[in-house]
Amino acid sequence: MRIGKIERHGSKCARSSEAVILFAVGGHRFAIAAAAVEEIRNREGLLPASPGLPSASANAPKIKNILLRDSRTYCVVEAALCLGLPESRPSRLLLLRDLRSHDSRLALSIDSIDRMAELAVLHPLPDAFQGEERMWYRGLALVGDEVIPVLNPAALLDAEELAALPTAKSVAGSNALKGIASA
Amino acid sequence: MPLRKRIYETRREKRETKNSKLKTDLKLETSNSATNSGAFVLFPLGAKRFALPAAMVAELARPDKLQSFPHTTPLLAGVLVRRGRIVPVFDIARALMGPQAPARKFYLIATRKFHHANEWTAIPVSGECILHNAQPVAPTEGLPDYVTGLLSLENEIIEIIDLEKLAAAEAAHAC
Repeated sequence: MRIGKIERHGSKCARSSEAVILFAVGGHRFAIAAAAVEEIRNREGLLPASPGLPSASANAPKIKNILLRDSRTYCVVEAALCLGLPESRPSRLLLLRDLRSHDSRLALSIDSIDRMAELAVLHPLPDAFQGEERMWYRGLALVGDEVIPVLNPAALLDAEELAALPTAKSVAGSNALKGIASA
Repeated sequence: MPLRKRIYETRREKRETKNSKLKTDLKLETSNSATNSGAFVLFPLGAKRFALPAAMVAELARPDKLQSFPHTTPLLAGVLVRRGRIVPVFDIARALMGPQAPARKFYLIATRKFHHANEWTAIPVSGECILHNAQPVAPTEGLPDYVTGLLSLENEIIEIIDLEKLAAAEAAHAC
């Protein structure tokens, strides 16, 4: 069920500020550009994903579910697994805008939404951080006294993992076969 | 002395005085120093002390709120916000002292060089630090690569640490 659609912030925003959505995963707070999010919704209507999809590890698939919506297939990426956090209890989905030309889209599964905020300055991630976090985050935001990493949605899955995603056609075909079998 | 030369000399003296001040809360321990000795900052981790070249050290900071977020870089405990800057916290105590590392009370703010730029790094230490002039000696055989020299004090041998070599050793160990 739809909770809220994110209105795209266009030229009305000052160049130096960016609207972000603050959310929580595994006890940590993160931010994501509001412009990257199409919709926020709950987890109703999720279907189990087929085997063979990208995995964080052999036993921890990054994509456990898919969502069929408006003739699009959203592959639900578990944010906790992408960020190396223990599996949590997600309750919300961020449907991401199409950042690359691809038939499948991504939805980010998170624990909760905090609020929206205006980001005046995006601090670069210090060079001392030299691991995978350099891909995960666009930078760091200072919200009050709190340092919050700003997620890079384009880095959730790499090119190889994106190529392995199911398309709307393949999902429709799979559902049709199941229909014939059950009949 | 001509006026222009007097003005130049005065400005040069002021500049030298300004550059020689160390903007820290460090105590200065004077010692008879050889002309070729170096300046080092001695910092404690429990009962043991280590040293960093003084040129690398910016200041000693009081305890501050450590903030963490998910990452995969070894020895980084999180970040501090210091004077509007986000400073990574490089917790070397675990690498130098093992799992018995003592509680850290202050942060030594040092500079590390990455690519072509210097960056502040906060190093948790367990007590106050001392500025000390001494002539270092070569490290003895068997010490890790990140120990680049030794300082011999009265009843104490202090290891001089190279932060970059320490970070590289931990990254290799993590792999």
